[in-house]
Amino acid sequence: MKDDLLQLRGADQLLGRVAEALQAMEMPGEGFITSRLGEYTRFAGDRIHQPQAIEECQLMVRAAGAHGGARAGTTRLESAAAAGREASRLARGLTVLGGGRQALARPGQRVDTSSLWHQGTLDFTAPARAALAARAIHDAGVVGATACGMFSRVVIELAVGNSEGVALYTRATEASFSVLVRRDEGSGYRGDLVRDVCTVEPERFIEGAVADAVLSGHPEPLAPGSYDVVLGPLAVGDMIGFFGSLGFTGDALAAGHGPVAQRRGVRVADDMITVRDDAGRPTGLPIPFDLEGVAKQNVTMLDQGRIGDAVLDLGTATTLGRQSTGHAHIGREEAPAPTPANLMLEPGDASVAELVAGVDRGVYLSRFWYTRLVDGEQSSITGVSRDAAFRIRDGALGPPVANGRFTEQVFGALSRADGVGKDLVSQPIPNVWNGCVTAPALRVRGFHLGFR
Amino acid sequence: MRQAQPAHEPSWGWSGDEPLVRGMAEEAVELAQVRGAEYADARVVEVEEERFYATLTGDPDCRREHSLGIGVRVLLQGRWGFGARAHGDHPFHLDAAEAAIRMAGSSPAGVAAAWSPRPAELGEYRTAVGEDPFSVPLSRKEAILAQLLAAARARREIVDAMAGVNAKRQRRYFLSSEGSWQVQHLVECGGAYQVWAAKDGELQRRSYPNSFHGNTGAAGWEYVESLKLAEQAPRVVEEACALLTAPPCPGGVADVIIGPAMTALQIHESCGHALELDRILGDEAGFAGTSFIGAGDVGLLRYGSPAVTIVADPTRPGNRGSFGFDDEGVSARRAVLIDQGVVANFLSSRETGARIGRESTAAMRADGWQYMPLCFSTHVGLEPGSGSLDELLERLGDGYYLDMDRSWSIDNQRLNFQFGTEIAVEVRHGRRGRLLKNASYGGVTPEFWRKVEHVAGPAEARVFGLPCGKGEPKQWGFVSHTGIPMLVRGVLMGVAG
Repeated sequence: MKDDLLQLRGADQLLGRVAEALQAMEMPGEGFITSRLGEYTRFAGDRIHQPQAIEECQLMVRAAGAHGGARAGTTRLESAAAAGREASRLARGLTVLGGGRQALARPGQRVDTSSLWHQGTLDFTAPARAALAARAIHDAGVVGATACGMFSRVVIELAVGNSEGVALYTRATEASFSVLVRRDEGSGYRGDLVRDVCTVEPERFIEGAVADAVLSGHPEPLAPGSYDVVLGPLAVGDMIGFFGSLGFTGDALAAGHGPVAQRRGVRVADDMITVRDDAGRPTGLPIPFDLEGVAKQNVTMLDQGRIGDAVLDLGTATTLGRQSTGHAHIGREEAPAPTPANLMLEPGDASVAELVAGVDRGVYLSRFWYTRLVDGEQSSITGVSRDAAFRIRDGALGPPVANGRFTEQVFGALSRADGVGKDLVSQPIPNVWNGCVTAPALRVRGFHLGFR
Repeated sequence: MRQAQPAHEPSWGWSGDEPLVRGMAEEAVELAQVRGAEYADARVVEVEEERFYATLTGDPDCRREHSLGIGVRVLLQGRWGFGARAHGDHPFHLDAAEAAIRMAGSSPAGVAAAWSPRPAELGEYRTAVGEDPFSVPLSRKEAILAQLLAAARARREIVDAMAGVNAKRQRRYFLSSEGSWQVQHLVECGGAYQVWAAKDGELQRRSYPNSFHGNTGAAGWEYVESLKLAEQAPRVVEEACALLTAPPCPGGVADVIIGPAMTALQIHESCGHALELDRILGDEAGFAGTSFIGAGDVGLLRYGSPAVTIVADPTRPGNRGSFGFDDEGVSARRAVLIDQGVVANFLSSRETGARIGRESTAAMRADGWQYMPLCFSTHVGLEPGSGSLDELLERLGDGYYLDMDRSWSIDNQRLNFQFGTEIAVEVRHGRRGRLLKNASYGGVTPEFWRKVEHVAGPAEARVFGLPCGKGEPKQWGFVSHTGIPMLVRGVLMGVAG
C-alpha cells in the first residue's frame, strides 16, 4: 500500500507554482508554499478515538505595490496564477495607507537541509502509533489508570520564491508524542517534538507518565506563597515561549518598547541563563529559512543573563536599517510579524534529581497550562500548573501537591534561577508555523504560587 | 430552513456548482462504504477570507485567503477515521475517503463508538446579508483604517495602534451515508481597533469593540458600519492615555459589575468550554483538558445563582456562532445549558450525547474541511434579567465596574480562573467615579457564578463573536456569546499583583 506521506509534491512543482504566481503579479513580490501532510493518532480512555490523516497546505504571495503590499493565499495550488493576480489587484487598490515594504530577500544564500529528513519518522506509521497507544492504554490500565494523548508523524514541505530570483525548497519530517495518564486525582504527562523518532524512546514516555500518575494521587493542598521550585522542562519551555510577546522582536524594537529597545545589555537573569532562537540545531524543529526566503540566523535573546537581540523580518529590518534574521511569520487571524519560532534555553549539566537535591523545602512542577501574558513591560505571566506536582523535602521528591495558579515575572524567575538541567524537551509554540520551544528543567528560588 | 438572502449572491470560488459538489461528496461516501464503513460523511468546504489591518508602525496586512477541500469521516467496525485533502489535480475527494478508511483500519478493534442511526436531514441555510462585504471597495475600507489611525496619531502618548476590518464567506456542504444533504452559505464580517499608550515605563491598551480580535457578526457590511468605529476612536484613544496616569485598581474583596465584553469571555471560558461534552467525557483530556462538571450533573449541580441562565442558541441569526446545521449534520437547536443556576444540558455531539443517553445539542463543529469536528461553543449567551446599567450601578452601591479582557487564564478543568481587564471604574454610591488601571479578578467558576446577584435587562445585552482553539492538531472555532452587565458580590480583586 502506498504511503500517503511520501506523496510529496517536490521542489519542482512547488517552486513552479510559486513562480507562476509571481509571474502573474506583474510587479515585484514574493511567495511561499507551506505544506503539511500529517497523521495523528489521538487516543483517550480505552480507544483510539481520533485517527486523522490531514493535509494542510497554502500558497501565499505578496505583491509589493508602490503604495503598499498585499497578499493572496490559496490551498488550491493550481490557482497559483490567480492568487498572484489577486495580490497585485489588492496592492494596486491601496492608495492611502502607504508603508509597503519593497525589500525582498536576495538570492545566493546558503541553506543546509541535511538534518531534516529521517526514515525513522517515516516508519512511525499508523499501525506503529496504534500499537504505542495500545501500550499506553494497557500500562495505564494495569495500575488502574486511564491514558490519553497523541502520536503523530508529519512531512512538511516549504518552498519560497521571489522576483529577485530566490527559489528555496526544503522538506522535513516531524513527530510528536504526548501521553497523559490519570488515576484518582493524580496525573502524569510526557511529551516531545522531534524531527527524528529515533532520538526518543516513546516507551519511556509511557513509563514516566504512569509512574507520575501513581505517585501524584491524593495531592494535598498547597498554600499560596513563595517556594523554591524545580520546574520540569515543559514548564520552563512554556515560560520561555513568551520571549516573542515580551518584546524580543523587531516590531517592538522599532516601536521603542520592550527589553531590547530599552535595556539591551542589562542583566535580567542569572548568568547561567542563555536563551536563543536557533533553527540550525537538530533539537526541536530546525528549518533553514523563513517564509520570506531569508536564511535563519541564530539570535541570542538572553546572553548569560543579559538582554541580547531581537528577531527581525524584512519589514522590521528595513525600518531598523539592519538585516533580517530570518524570522518572518504570518499566522492565520494574525498580522505578519517577526516571530521567534525555534526558541531554546541552553541546557546546563544537572539531572532533575540533582536540581531537586539542591532544595530543602520546595515544590516540583512538571508543566504549566493556559499561561498568558499579564503585563509585557513587567514580563508578568499567569497560568496554572498541571499534572504531577510534588513537595520537595530535604532534597528529594515528597508527597504530591495540588496544582494551582501562579503569577510570576519571567525575568524575575530567571534572575532567581540557580540550576539548569541537561535534558531537553521540545514542545510546539501555539499558532506559529513550525514553531517549537526547547528547554531543560530549571531550579528557581522564590517562585510565587497562588494569586498575587 | 432558509434565512433571507441578497437578491443576487455574488459569484465566487469554485464550489458554486452544487450538483458537482454533491456528486463528489457522494463518490467519497460511497467509496468509504465500499471499503466497509458502516457510516460515512463528507464535508466540502470552500472559504474566502479577507483581512485588512493596519498599524502605526508596520506594513498594512491586506490579504485574501482561499481554501477548498474535503474532510471525510468514517465509522469502520465501530472505529472512527478521518481524512482531509485539499482540492487538487488528483481525485482528492477519493484520496480523503481512502485516508479516512486507512486511519480507521489502523486502530485495534475495541470498544465501538456509541452511534445510532438518525433520520436524514435536508436543508439549506444562508446568512442574511445586506451589503456584500467582498463587494465593498478596498478604498472604502482603507479610508476607515486611515481615519482610525489618524485618531491615534492625535495623541503623542500613543505608541502604536491597530485598525482592522475582516470578512469571510463560506460554502459548507455536508453529505452523509444516512442521506443527509445540507448546504450552508455563511457570511461574516467585523472590525477591530486597539491603541497602546506609553509614558514613563507604563504601557496601557484600550480596545473597541472588543480586545480579542475585535468583534465579528454573521451579516453583511452593514454590521461593520453598525460598529461606528470612527465615532468611537477618539474615546478609545483618550481612555488609553488616561489609563497612563490612573491609579491602580485596589486588591481585596469587592462587589463588582462585570461589563458585557468581559461577561462574554467569562461565559466562553468558564461555561462554554466547561460544558463541552467531549471534554467532560475525557476525550480532550490529553490536550485541552477536562471539566469540573460531570456527565451526571444535569439537574443536580448548582453552577450559579438563580439569576444565571445560559442558553446555547445557534438558531438566532446574525451571530458568529449561528448556523443551520452543525458539522455532523444535526440541525441547529436551542438548548438551555444553565437553568436558573443549575446545569441543564451540554454542548454535545451525536456520539457524546449517545454515550450518556442524551440527544445532540448540535455543537459538533470544525474549522473548514481540514479538521475533525469537535464539541465547540455555538452562540452561547447569558439570558437577560432586568433594568438598565445605571440601575445596576445603583444596586451595586460601592464597588467597581470592570470590562474588556487584558489577560485571561483558566485551568484545564475550567475551574480556577484569573482575568485582567483593560479598564475599571470606581463606583461610589451608585455613581461612576475615577478610571482605574490594571484591574484583575479571579476565583473558582461555580463559586463566582453563585455570587451573581443580578443581571441587567435586554437593552444592555451585547453580542461578541470571537475565535477560540481546541483539538490536536489545533483548530480554530468561531463562536459568539451574549454578554450582559452583571452584579457579582464578594469578588477577589487584584490577583495579578
